Amino acid sequence: MTDVSDQMIEILDRRVERRKERREFFRTAIGAAAVAGAGGALTFAGSAGAQSAPTDVDVLNFALNLEYLEAEFYNVAVFGTTLTVAQTSGTGTPGIATGGRKVVFTDPVVAQYAKEIAQDEVAHVNFLRAQLGASAVAQPAIDIGVTPTSAFSNAARAAGLIGAGDAFDVYATDENFLLGAYIFEDVGVTAYKGAAPLITNKTYLEAAAGILAVEAYHASLIRTVLYAKGVATPSLRTSADAISNARDSLDGTSDLDQGISPTGSGATAMSNIVPLDVNGLAFSRTTGQVLNIVYLNKNAVGMGGFFPAGVNGTIKTSAAN
Amino acid sequence: MHVTDTMLQLLEATERRRDERRQFIRTAGAAAIAAGGLSLLAACDSNDKGSVSPAPTPAPTPTPTPTTFADADVLNFALNLEYLEAQFYSFAVTGVSIPIELLSGTGTPGAPTGGRQVTFSDPVVAQYAREIAADEVAHVRFLRSVLGTAAVAQPALDISAAGPFTAAARAAGVVGPTGTFDPYANDESFLLGAYIFEDVGVSAYKGASPLIVNKTYLEAAAGILAAEAYHAGLIRTVLYAKGIATPALRTNADKISDARDSLDGATDLDQGITGDATTSNIVPTDADGIAFSRSAGQVLNIAYLNKSAVVGGGFFPIGVNGAIRTSAASG
Repeated sequence: MTDVSDQMIEILDRRVERRKERREFFRTAIGAAAVAGAGGALTFAGSAGAQSAPTDVDVLNFALNLEYLEAEFYNVAVFGTTLTVAQTSGTGTPGIATGGRKVVFTDPVVAQYAKEIAQDEVAHVNFLRAQLGASAVAQPAIDIGVTPTSAFSNAARAAGLIGAGDAFDVYATDENFLLGAYIFEDVGVTAYKGAAPLITNKTYLEAAAGILAVEAYHASLIRTVLYAKGVATPSLRTSADAISNARDSLDGTSDLDQGISPTGSGATAMSNIVPLDVNGLAFSRTTGQVLNIVYLNKNAVGMGGFFPAGVNGTIKTSAAN
Repeated sequence: MHVTDTMLQLLEATERRRDERRQFIRTAGAAAIAAGGLSLLAACDSNDKGSVSPAPTPAPTPTPTPTTFADADVLNFALNLEYLEAQFYSFAVTGVSIPIELLSGTGTPGAPTGGRQVTFSDPVVAQYAREIAADEVAHVRFLRSVLGTAAVAQPALDISAAGPFTAAARAAGVVGPTGTFDPYANDESFLLGAYIFEDVGVSAYKGASPLIVNKTYLEAAAGILAAEAYHAGLIRTVLYAKGIATPALRTNADKISDARDSLDGATDLDQGITGDATTSNIVPTDADGIAFSRSAGQVLNIAYLNKSAVVGGGFFPIGVNGAIRTSAASG
């Protein structure tokens, strides 16, 4: 794990530089890019990552693994309890979510947000399971703990939020909870967006678009709260930026992530609540890139990070970056 | 203002229904989820453990689509909405229109009228507004570049305080029957003005997603859908947070949601931001935790501020450009 962390920190230094350049480009060269785009009217470059086409069931089960992770994190943080056996049974190797605990929220509004998101994520688990029926994968083992070697601590260390041997306790304070949530939220958006063209059934597609939207609302909520609280506590903004960079360092050379800190100053200052490309579109990640992040590993592996025994289903290997 | 009267009448009935509905959603979630799963899976019997082939093959798309439109029609429909959003935010932030080279195209070109710059008090709200403005302009540029010479021109847009914003606000009860709602007057009014549009864009792109044939366009549309949901989440979160000190912001947002919902037919496709004592409602979702869809006709009900089948009105006084331009018969 330290290997991974060291690697990530190394890459991070370079990425910070790159992302700044990229954002600069993004904000100032929109015109030029749009003109270039106009040359290719009604044509596009091929979209990301075409391997052998997974079935709709494979894709929905992949999403279900991610929803298990989110639902367990928020459920434990808000209610102190994990999902029931009836909500987590299925095919593959079953596991439990370990190491989480209830947050004692200081700001009642943050508690209200957390409870709302927890309910939505549980609804997503229930919905996907209902769609998949007997094909639904079981919840795999999930690490939502806070020891120095936990996935949250490794992610936070890679982002430079904590030092060697330290632990990042996402349940300790409102602020840590928000940063913990931030680790997941935009990833869900990019995962559903990347999966959208893989889904063949139109009904599933529309449902997936509906979950995509909800994940984007969640991500926006978390980012907006961190940004707003960042007026009084600037480290919230810089920590969120560092987490974005850490995520970005795992998923390959393309820039698929952005922090929240503003660009410009004074009368031209602009927040960055919404991570978008030069066309104003949210980013896509392939399933392999999503697994790079949740496994906290930029190589092609079958497990690690938040899923110590890997996800269940046919899509389970991270990309080689 | 016949439309306004109709909306006011509808509103009273709708408000009661929505409260019941929200109660249902929050307390009967499990039952509703079971029912939802059944209806979607009516054809595939996936809960039958004995089924040899549990692979889902559900019923076709639930959104009624009487006519099949080409991808370009769907993208042009979206472009009309992006013109509206881009101009509203652009005027609010800069006091001027988006660049003129982004306005030409097929159909009847028009100008935006009545927008003006907001003098923001809270610098953070100004920062949010600038960000959203930049994103919406990027969406206009992007859709135009994809559509090339097929892109529709910007139609006439009424973004004046005295026009559709006040009509919408009166119908919602945000102001009285003779009051004026000026979305450019201050931070709070700007946020409520933005709120009128934001969730509508999300439901529009979601409703359009199964109509798009080309996979690359589909992924691009999913990317805009996500951006709109981020925007909506931002506006709703700020209204909710500022609602601690100014409770009217929450109740007014709720009223606007009700007014939108009264225009788009009998189904409940909208939710305000007030939850219960311990839960916010930043994200408008159904019992399955899924965002709502609106058909193009339902989106036009809201943009035209008319629950009948018409081809113009509200924010688009002479209608949108392109093949998709008639609102649904929703009343």
